[in-house]
Amino acid sequence: MTALYINDEEVTVTPGTSILEACRENGAEVPYFCYHPELSVAANCRMCLVEIEGWNKPAASCCTPVAEGMKVRTQTEALEKDREMMMEYLLIHHPLDCPVCDQGGACKLQDYAVEHGASHGRYAEMKRAVVDHDLGPFVSTCMTRCIHCTRCVRFADEVAGTGDMGVLDRGDHMRIDGIVEDCLSSELSGNLSDICPVGALLDKPSHDVSRPWEVTRHKSTCTQCPQGCDITIESRGDEVIRIRPEKDGMEPWICDRGRYVYDAFRSEQRILEPKVRESGGLVAASWDDAIGRAVELMKGKRVGIVFSPDWSVEGLTSIRLLNDAVFEGAKVAFDLHRRDMRSFAFEEGLAMTTQQIEDSGQVVILGSDLRQRLPVLMQRLRKRINAGKPVSRIGAMNYRTNTEPTKDSLIRPRDWSAVIAFAMQQVSGLGKTAAGMDAWMAGVEGRHEAGKLLADALMDDSCALLVGEEIRSHEDAAALIYGLDLLMRACGHAEAGKDGRNLISEGMNPQLLSSVFGDVRTSAGELFDAASNGELDVLLLIGSDPQGDGLFSVQAKQAMDKVPLVQVGAISGQISEYAEVQLPAAAYSEVEGSFVNMEGRIRVAENPLSSLGAERPLWKVMMRLIQDMGGDIPAVNLDELRAHVIRFAPQMEHAWRSSDELMITAARNNTATHASSTKAPSRSLDLISRYSMYREGAWVRASDLLSEAGCLHALDDVLVHPNTLAGAEGERVVRTSSGEQSVHVGSREDVVPGVLFVAKRGVAGDLSSESEVDFVGGAA
Amino acid sequence: MIPSDPQKVTGICFDHVDVPNQNSLAVARKNGAYAFLPTVLKEFDADKIIDEVKTSGLRGRGGAGFPTGLKWSFVPRNTGKPTYLLCNADEGEPGTFKDRDIMRFDPHLLIEGMIMAGFALDVKDAYIYIRGEFLHEANVMNEAIREAYAANLLGENILGTDYSMDLTVHRGAGAYICGEETALIESLEGRPGRPRFKPPFPAVEGFYGCPTVVNNVETLATVPAILEHGGAWHAAIGVPNNTGFKIFSVSGHVNKPGNYEVPMGTTMRTLIEDYCGGLQHGTVPKAIIPGGSSSAWLMAEHYDVPLTFDDLIKAGSMLGSGAIIVMDETADLVALTRRLAHFYAHESCGQCTPCREGTGWLERVMNRVETGHGCEADLKVLKEASEHMAGRTICALADGAAAPILSLLEHFPDELRSRMAQSHQEEQSA
Repeated sequence: MTALYINDEEVTVTPGTSILEACRENGAEVPYFCYHPELSVAANCRMCLVEIEGWNKPAASCCTPVAEGMKVRTQTEALEKDREMMMEYLLIHHPLDCPVCDQGGACKLQDYAVEHGASHGRYAEMKRAVVDHDLGPFVSTCMTRCIHCTRCVRFADEVAGTGDMGVLDRGDHMRIDGIVEDCLSSELSGNLSDICPVGALLDKPSHDVSRPWEVTRHKSTCTQCPQGCDITIESRGDEVIRIRPEKDGMEPWICDRGRYVYDAFRSEQRILEPKVRESGGLVAASWDDAIGRAVELMKGKRVGIVFSPDWSVEGLTSIRLLNDAVFEGAKVAFDLHRRDMRSFAFEEGLAMTTQQIEDSGQVVILGSDLRQRLPVLMQRLRKRINAGKPVSRIGAMNYRTNTEPTKDSLIRPRDWSAVIAFAMQQVSGLGKTAAGMDAWMAGVEGRHEAGKLLADALMDDSCALLVGEEIRSHEDAAALIYGLDLLMRACGHAEAGKDGRNLISEGMNPQLLSSVFGDVRTSAGELFDAASNGELDVLLLIGSDPQGDGLFSVQAKQAMDKVPLVQVGAISGQISEYAEVQLPAAAYSEVEGSFVNMEGRIRVAENPLSSLGAERPLWKVMMRLIQDMGGDIPAVNLDELRAHVIRFAPQMEHAWRSSDELMITAARNNTATHASSTKAPSRSLDLISRYSMYREGAWVRASDLLSEAGCLHALDDVLVHPNTLAGAEGERVVRTSSGEQSVHVGSREDVVPGVLFVAKRGVAGDLSSESEVDFVGGAA
Repeated sequence: MIPSDPQKVTGICFDHVDVPNQNSLAVARKNGAYAFLPTVLKEFDADKIIDEVKTSGLRGRGGAGFPTGLKWSFVPRNTGKPTYLLCNADEGEPGTFKDRDIMRFDPHLLIEGMIMAGFALDVKDAYIYIRGEFLHEANVMNEAIREAYAANLLGENILGTDYSMDLTVHRGAGAYICGEETALIESLEGRPGRPRFKPPFPAVEGFYGCPTVVNNVETLATVPAILEHGGAWHAAIGVPNNTGFKIFSVSGHVNKPGNYEVPMGTTMRTLIEDYCGGLQHGTVPKAIIPGGSSSAWLMAEHYDVPLTFDDLIKAGSMLGSGAIIVMDETADLVALTRRLAHFYAHESCGQCTPCREGTGWLERVMNRVETGHGCEADLKVLKEASEHMAGRTICALADGAAAPILSLLEHFPDELRSRMAQSHQEEQSA
């Protein structure tokens, strides 16, 4: 440790710390603009000058490392004059438009002008004129306010990895410019307005809407992806103004999906009052009438329940209570992306925290478009790669990462078992083995050399596997996951404390769902098929959109044609055209409740937004249904409900009592030993349903902002490798198990040949149910 | 040939500057170029070379005057990374034109110095970063390098030894700031020329994050003579702590402007009167810029100052790059300062707040003052805006921008005021 004196007070800090950081750690106020704890040091604003005894001139504290015995002064008359002059320089070209600037009231420049600035400027010459830029739907610019701190440039280079901000020209002509106009290509672009210390880069959707001092801040958890970021929802009355990352939350950034989904909160898609279908249309009804209709549809019937994993822990548990109280033997499903319902050797959820993944010796991404699925985790991996730590990837597409993975290998989904078997062969050649590995290996005919990449990473002291959707949605997922489990055990990455088996889940609360629904869950596809086959009488859908999302949209539509639908939810989605009854449940921003993210981290929201309409927390809707269906109400308040949560998931015991950070672990099934399938593929092309962060999920589709971004970032609906296409891009007929269909096919070089990539949009959307297809007229 | 008796030496870098076709390898060799190189490559080692250069007392000729041997000794060895040698030939300081003459008239002297320095620092790749405007000089350098490669003086296994070094000329794009060593490194890496903050210093983390030495042309061109005749020989020339010869680029109101290589410690008066043929008007200069436009001005009272790094600091200025601009009684110092303010505003890289905004501000105020539209309050603005730029930025450009204005305010405030009065009178009579 290094000891130094800050304003005569002795403090100790880690060697190599900058003076500015030492001051921040020890409560000594030093003003700054360009410094940001998550970005590299630029040292250009010169606001953080301090005096160091023995130095003949003031030093920029952000770029000066501490030294033993150094005597630092942060408040002297000379420094005050320096700061006053720095403010005068900065304000030379800055407009005096605080009254109309969104940053006003939350602006470093304004604060420091008051604290350190002179009462008036002496600059009487011509002012600089600059132009504004169109940076897409999320960031608006007012470049006359720019102070050239380059935080945004460093953000684009270092955090987003897109490098689409830059500095042009020099001297006082220097300007920050979007190198690519029209649209910032980062999925994290919304953070730019947060890091801009002045009003140059502003949040476009909330531009000219409110003032910082008018808003109320609500701590909450984002449920738009399994990352479950800590967010602050800023609202004025019941209107959400914007969403930002929680200050001092787990991550400094949030993605655009989680940030801009809020315009769906007030969209026409919201279910804000009970509705029943009358003469073809949904019309508003009282709670009593709507519940009565729902009970009428469900009482004594064979019910299938499909729900979203993104409800609060309490809401999810109340679904289980409803099931147990009045629907004995109902079919229950919640995962719209899992085909293989055999139990997994390691169930959904991460074994490691994102920090542990960032610090791990090796990271291997197996079949996941992480930038879209988990943008914030991808950012951590990017940070890792920038620091020179390896991240390898095996998958069907060179999914954009805005950085270069250390090693990269393209494979088809049908090659996974051969990849794993090759890796097994490699590690067992080096003396690493586990019981059952030889048998598993023997059951796989082929070998794929991409397994070398996996085997190499496994030989490290620590290795984090990030198992993604290409494996999880695979028809043989349980066998593949068992194979990976064997590999991890063989190489010592499965023991407690070193567990690197991370299976990325589709939604929130994966560990809790394993505990609460593990014994009753079934596949959503099977459930819809049962409805189509007359084995079910009615579907109860609680907050999911199986028509717009997931792998079973065709089956879902077929089922809806057969049986009536009772919909409970906060957002209607495409499937609501089938709903007989709609019951409004509160959105994630509007409930007191708990959420578990993919890491197993528990967050309890205690300060929800007020309701916009007649919606009630999901658990209350469930209790009302139990009551009206004639069951005994198991809980009348959150405390009682939470006792039930603990009954199903004992790990939650201290969730509401302790202020310590609690983590719950993902399930492990030692008996889930599945040999690889020997079924030969029946069609020539594998099919992968592509995920888009701007289109997946009913909330996101209801957001105009994200839809606009989705249009700007869209690739072709159906994509293949040019060799697979063997011809020009255009209309092609695709044969599936259920018939033939003509779609427009585009091509890209950076995908593996032999795979058809489908975006869940328009006519192509129906293909996403398939896992194998052929081109009619032959494919290369 | 340079005599081995230090008393008889008449020049080091410019010893052969007047020889016709000295830029060709054949002529240069006839005059002793590369004669001592085999001895260095075969019999010297890194420690001996660095020790000789340390003993020689050679101080960097680019402006800062940092001891060259010491700079070389800071380079960490066995880091597993390559070490780079960069020759700073971006000679951009207004008033300086010495490196240009070395490169166009005696390029092999620089190449030989770079091979020796490269050998001492175990450099595999060396670069000459040459000012963009020096097209002719770059052509001459490139031709000399081509000849040196052909003669196995560069490239693989130089002169049959184990030592290999490549030398590449890189032309800048004409930015003054790229003469600052870290901006030069940034520019050479292909990025905009913006200085880096220090630490880390280039010796540890420079070109592409590797240990890097950046030396001025004149510094490197002095190395062959030092190694041939010994550090002590060089140390015996000049005055203690300021040894050797120094080239002064003298311009302004003198009768014979030009480059003069004189022993350190020669007085300003001797240089101007004896070498440069005296002033054009009057007997004492009105003001002298002694070390390039970024140095503070000297007045008539400093006419006898010995030209050394230390004496000029004592006199309140600096030796800098040795560019002496002499102004006699006819000089319009307000116009001169305005022109320099324009130069610095144009050349500021724009990174640091005070320099980016301050240089433009100063230029605009000087424009107004020069055209007679100034007022008394402008004097305070000029003073404060200059004072709070200097020493508050990443590099020293702001200090350079402040120096002429602060000198003008200190020594000739009345010249500024008379401009204001003049305009006042004109307005009244109009």
